[in-house]
Amino acid sequence: MMKLFTAAVKELKLLAGDRTGLLVLFVMPAILVVVITLVQENIMRLTGQELTEVLYLDLDRGPVGTSLAEQLSAAGLVIVAAPPERATIASVREAVIGGMYRVGVVVPAGTSDLFEQESLRLFRGLTGQGGDADTTRIALPVFYDPAVMASLRSGLSARIETALTAITIERQLGRLQALMTGKTTDGNQLAELLDQPLFSLTEGTDAAPAQQYNPVQQNVPAWALFGMFFTAIPIGGGLLKERSSGIWLRLMSLPVSPLTLLGGKILAYLVICCCQFLLICLIGAILFPLLGLPAFTVSGGGAGVVVTVLLAGLAACAFGIVLGVICSSYEQASTLGATSVVVAAAVGGVMVPVYAMPPIMQSISIISPLNWGLTALHDILVRGAGLPAVWDDLGLLLAFTVMALGLACRLLPGRH
Amino acid sequence: MSVINRNQAAGDGAINACSLVKRYPGAADPALDHLELQVRAGEFYGLLGPNGAGKSTLIALLSGLLRADSGTIDIMGVDPAQQLPALKPLIGLVPQEIALYDGLTAAENLSFFAAMQGLNGPIRRDRVARCLHFVHLTKHADHRVATFSGGMKRRLNLAAGLLGEPRLLLLDEPTVGIDVQSRALIYEKLLELNAHGTTIFYTTHYLEEARDLCRRLGIIDHGRLIDEGPPESLLQRYRAATLDELMLRLAGSRPRD
Repeated sequence: MMKLFTAAVKELKLLAGDRTGLLVLFVMPAILVVVITLVQENIMRLTGQELTEVLYLDLDRGPVGTSLAEQLSAAGLVIVAAPPERATIASVREAVIGGMYRVGVVVPAGTSDLFEQESLRLFRGLTGQGGDADTTRIALPVFYDPAVMASLRSGLSARIETALTAITIERQLGRLQALMTGKTTDGNQLAELLDQPLFSLTEGTDAAPAQQYNPVQQNVPAWALFGMFFTAIPIGGGLLKERSSGIWLRLMSLPVSPLTLLGGKILAYLVICCCQFLLICLIGAILFPLLGLPAFTVSGGGAGVVVTVLLAGLAACAFGIVLGVICSSYEQASTLGATSVVVAAAVGGVMVPVYAMPPIMQSISIISPLNWGLTALHDILVRGAGLPAVWDDLGLLLAFTVMALGLACRLLPGRH
Repeated sequence: MSVINRNQAAGDGAINACSLVKRYPGAADPALDHLELQVRAGEFYGLLGPNGAGKSTLIALLSGLLRADSGTIDIMGVDPAQQLPALKPLIGLVPQEIALYDGLTAAENLSFFAAMQGLNGPIRRDRVARCLHFVHLTKHADHRVATFSGGMKRRLNLAAGLLGEPRLLLLDEPTVGIDVQSRALIYEKLLELNAHGTTIFYTTHYLEEARDLCRRLGIIDHGRLIDEGPPESLLQRYRAATLDELMLRLAGSRPRD
């Protein structure tokens, strides 16, 4: 046991003096988790999950212009009244096309009068009061920033059309009520009648959801795992240096088992993996709120998180040992290691969630150790799952570790 | 100050290798071809030979890092192939490479290797201090090996091989690439160890150092021991004025691939 701990301390001392290694293991995943989370959060805003500003030019100054603005505001959009210098259709278009606003809406002058005329024509035609039901459609110019994603564009169009439909229904219902009862209803009472919900949506879950799923909950565990698997490079590189420099030869001439020496490396880098995970979690918990992001929290399942992190760390270390045994140079180990980890991360759902991948990639993702670890962490952190629910993913990590170490021990020189 | 205390009877066999054969996979010729070698306890034995003659392979076999395809080895009554754990405390290996961690200090390197020897606590600290003193590196104990000169690294490399107070010291070209002064210090220390009873098995290309240090020389080529004896008697036997001439006569003048 003493030799095991001494070997582990030796590894930590070597790493402490390796500035490049420390940068790769700690600074790189820290930067990546901040940058990627900020970018993804911003993308979500751009796709409409957050408030979108609408440049609104009301040339009508009538009921339609006022009602439309109210309806769009109630739907979650931020109405920005066009300033005097943008009081023309062309200037609104220019502002939106130029990227100053995501969308611009213009209510042309005379819209309310034209709406009243055409809606009455339609009402009379459909209720047999004479006249034809053919109407002229009222054109409302709407401009979109060309850089707006199609999904945002569709969402905004739907909200505008819904608002216009609500205005039309309200006016026609008022006419219908007057026709049927001979009375007219106060406009506010009618609006209240139409707004009164008759249905409500209830979300049922078997267990209380642990956390809201957002880019923070996706990225903190993902990039922490990514950083952990990069420990494979210093582990493999260190073993290669020992083999090529005669150190391994010297060690094999001493009364110490190769398993003890490898165990020391694994113990040391398991500590490093835990520190990496803790660092990324602290970034999520403390730094992210300062950047306007939701805080990363672990509201439950602490034991499950610890077990998952330890098994993922073991898998990463075992991979590093294999690299150090099968590669013939430090350059080969670092290239193969880095490439493998990046590919496994991409396939495993670190950069893009697995559910967002095409079906064929979702099928491939199941071979990635990072996917196993990430799935387990998401199940624990977001879905509130307990350890039994993630045994299959943890089992895969353990099996990977055992197979990798078995392979390494089989191929390691001087093992007799 | 003596690093090592000896109680081994001089004249007993330290190394007894009989008909050793070792062939590497894919190699046309065996690295060792029925090699016979005996080294007496307390002897300073030098092994000379051109590149690829089998010197490093023999060192690997004697230290238990490789197993012979056939033949027997007896090191102070221990068979490396069958009794490897019993062999390791008896030997010290000084490899041809500088087998040290550049990122650690001299003391940290020795402390680590001493721990792997099974030494702990005050015994480890004492052994490390004595070995550093032996090779005149005490004042550099807390300096990283990466900052050492080639001569200092070679001295520390030697010190690492002495941590276990071995009865048999195996050195594979321990003075390659260092200056005369460092080499002289290493010679002095090796002779001191040998005077106190440590058996030394030494491979080298430097023929004059072999002549100065070794009581007996063995000439190896193509995996076989061609001849052996005290340096002067070898020179007389082959009527060579120098060991260079002797080597060229025995091993040929064509460079080895």
